Amino acid sequence: MAAIVGQAENFGGFSAPAPKWSIALQWLLLLVVDAFGIFLAVSIGQDGNWFFAIAIILTLLLINVVTLVPRLWPLKWVSPALALMIILSVYPLLYTLYIAFTNYSDGHRFTKVEAVELLGERRYLPEGGTAYRWLVFQNEAGDYALWLTDDAGESFFARPNTALEAVTPNDSGSAPYNEDGVPASINGYTLLEGGARFRAINDIQDLTFGDAGNAVGIQSPQAAGVFEQQWVYDSATDTLTDRATNTVYSANNVTGEFVAPDGNTAPIGFWVTVGFDNFARIVSTTLSQGPLLRVVLWTIAFALIGTLSSFGLGLVSALVLNGSSFGMRLLRTLMIIPYAVPGLVSVLVWRGMLNANIGVIPTTMESLFGWAPPFSTDPGWAKFAILLVNLWFAAPYFMLIASGALQSISSDVYEAADVDGASRWTQFWRITLPLVLVSLGPLLIASIIFNFNNFFLMEALFGGGPPMAGTSAPPVGHTDNLISYTYRLAFAAGGTKDYGLASALGVIIFVIVGALTLLQFRLTRTWEQVSENV
Amino acid sequence: MSSSAVQSRTIAAQIGQSEKRPSSNDWLLKAIRVVFIVALLLFALFPIIWVISASFNPSGSMSSQTLIPQNVESIGDLFTNYNRLFNDPQVPFWRWVGNSLFISGLTSIIIVLVAALSAYAFSRFRFRFRRNLLLGIFLVQVFPNILAMVAIYLMVLQLGKYVPALGLNTYGGLIMIYIGGGMALNIWLMKGFFDTVPREIDESAMVDGASTSQIYWQLIFPLVRPVLAVVGLLSFSGTLGDFLLARVLITDRENWTLMVGLYSFVEGRFSDDWGVFAAGALLAAIPIVALYLFLQRYIVSGLTAGAVKG
Repeated sequence: MAAIVGQAENFGGFSAPAPKWSIALQWLLLLVVDAFGIFLAVSIGQDGNWFFAIAIILTLLLINVVTLVPRLWPLKWVSPALALMIILSVYPLLYTLYIAFTNYSDGHRFTKVEAVELLGERRYLPEGGTAYRWLVFQNEAGDYALWLTDDAGESFFARPNTALEAVTPNDSGSAPYNEDGVPASINGYTLLEGGARFRAINDIQDLTFGDAGNAVGIQSPQAAGVFEQQWVYDSATDTLTDRATNTVYSANNVTGEFVAPDGNTAPIGFWVTVGFDNFARIVSTTLSQGPLLRVVLWTIAFALIGTLSSFGLGLVSALVLNGSSFGMRLLRTLMIIPYAVPGLVSVLVWRGMLNANIGVIPTTMESLFGWAPPFSTDPGWAKFAILLVNLWFAAPYFMLIASGALQSISSDVYEAADVDGASRWTQFWRITLPLVLVSLGPLLIASIIFNFNNFFLMEALFGGGPPMAGTSAPPVGHTDNLISYTYRLAFAAGGTKDYGLASALGVIIFVIVGALTLLQFRLTRTWEQVSENV
Repeated sequence: MSSSAVQSRTIAAQIGQSEKRPSSNDWLLKAIRVVFIVALLLFALFPIIWVISASFNPSGSMSSQTLIPQNVESIGDLFTNYNRLFNDPQVPFWRWVGNSLFISGLTSIIIVLVAALSAYAFSRFRFRFRRNLLLGIFLVQVFPNILAMVAIYLMVLQLGKYVPALGLNTYGGLIMIYIGGGMALNIWLMKGFFDTVPREIDESAMVDGASTSQIYWQLIFPLVRPVLAVVGLLSFSGTLGDFLLARVLITDRENWTLMVGLYSFVEGRFSDDWGVFAAGALLAAIPIVALYLFLQRYIVSGLTAGAVKG
């Protein structure tokens, strides 16, 4: 080992220096990356997303140090991949950990700063503010404009997102003028009267005219008024005032809401860290025998049964189809096809074939036996169908690798067994299986991990269904596993999206997967490969 | 393995065979074996035959399907579903195919180029933290990025504010996330391949005064190019098969990938669209199946090097 290291150090020392143009190119590239990264980090930091900004800065630092310190030259080769992984894989993992400790969910989607900012953009029409009488104009393109007259007799022409223009009755625009001096057309806009005016109300009642400082909207068929900021935040008292109702909402920084004395909350909440609340909710719902417990049990059961059943069938297939004749090779190739079909496509095909009443499997069974299993409505049969479909595309994978393992077992072993008079049966259990297990053990564990997180099978075959009784928003299904349940919590249409809870579940899955991986590490030589391999 | 070893093994097998006495027990075993093989083939191939049949069924609905399509009056009838797939404006099939090819292609090219650099360094150079880095990369690789979905979604949303090309509903954003997710696994895979390339090649070039980057680009890279192509194709088909990330990050029907598009048939009137779905599924699967069968040998060695289909 020491000799190898010594040799390797020489490796770097002896190599010729890089040419000048290559160094210049590296510097140029570094400058571009730095400029881009700093721009991003500053912009994102200003939005209050400190974690992301810090992740970008740290990655930039890494790239710079590695490029500028000559001693670290081997890392230069690794740094592009490392930088991409830190930003795109490691940061999302850590950020998930952070979200798990917050109440980030529908109604708490923004930081406090963002929530106050968003509420501050809302406008209302106060009673008794500046009042106008209005007439409406429309141009060829269909845009609307208002002619406003206030109590003092001043007139203004108002278009959306444009400052009010002072206009003079009987002068601005072009004749004929009506009794108030309003022109029939002005700036390409034509006055709408009678029925046309009435019909326009529908279109313009939600529009604001004029710029932000002087936003005018119509209040009634005759009156228009100036919009004002509805929500005002006072940082000294940490309160938010609704000027429309004159209610004071005080910020509750524990629940992430603005609460009025009568218990009502402001329409936008903000997210706060809530400690172990999400995890406590997960533990308590699991302990109370709720749907989560069943989800956990099914996740584990599927990971184990799904892997072992497909390994079993794969191994038997490999034994039966073992041989180097053309026929056997052809059969093995045919058997691989299910594994090669993109996973989603095959699940969807099975979904069609299992379709209640009209899928080919239920209808065939119906006509043969007069009865067909209710695959998509009965929890037990749904789970059976999931395992069956899993068997279909996972068994060929195990057949593929078991064939390789079988061929690597030396025939000497079997000869010796024959000499000792061991039967074929004994040979299988005492020689073949143990040897295959030794070489495929790590892959079995990898497959269990994969099946533990098998999202697309659960989601695409029955959408997690059939739904468990008494669960809604989001509904939990009998074939949901942890990861599809997590997905439903965060992204299900119609349900309240609870990202905090979903992330907490994600963290728990991380821990389980991490533990399984360490187990795999102990069983494989992977770690020794890391330390010893050339 | 040397040829003499192979020879001795086959001879041994022959001897083993000739020593066995034919008995009724053997005959039974053979029968069971034949039945098992037939059942296995039926199980493995029936869904595929059924989809092929569905894609040529002129009525296109699930309930009217028979194994041999009925009511076929002309050759054109056989392609009813394919016609709808190619011509229905609601189903921009070729657009989806193009999107998928572009996204998966660019992803796998970038992954292979960047990961190969790291894999080479991990295979050849000795530096501090090398073991820790390798272990770290291994750990990153086992966590599926579905779990960090929320964080990934927020990140893409944020980035899109300042770099529109990397935001939601862009190819750039999706490709970026795929690259990040596939990097670790591919570094490990390729390091395994680089380890099998004899170090003597590097060393002799070094003695001749070549720099490390010259050695890599002019000697090693051309040497391992076939293997890199295989790794790239595997990552290509893996990316092509994903639908979750694509579904969450891409919203416009026009920008969907093929898998998201195929999934949309299920969410609509699946039993009526069955034939069109079957045609699309078949067209999507054929190139990938061909690829797998063609690369069978490499895939087996790649799989046993520590990868799982995912």
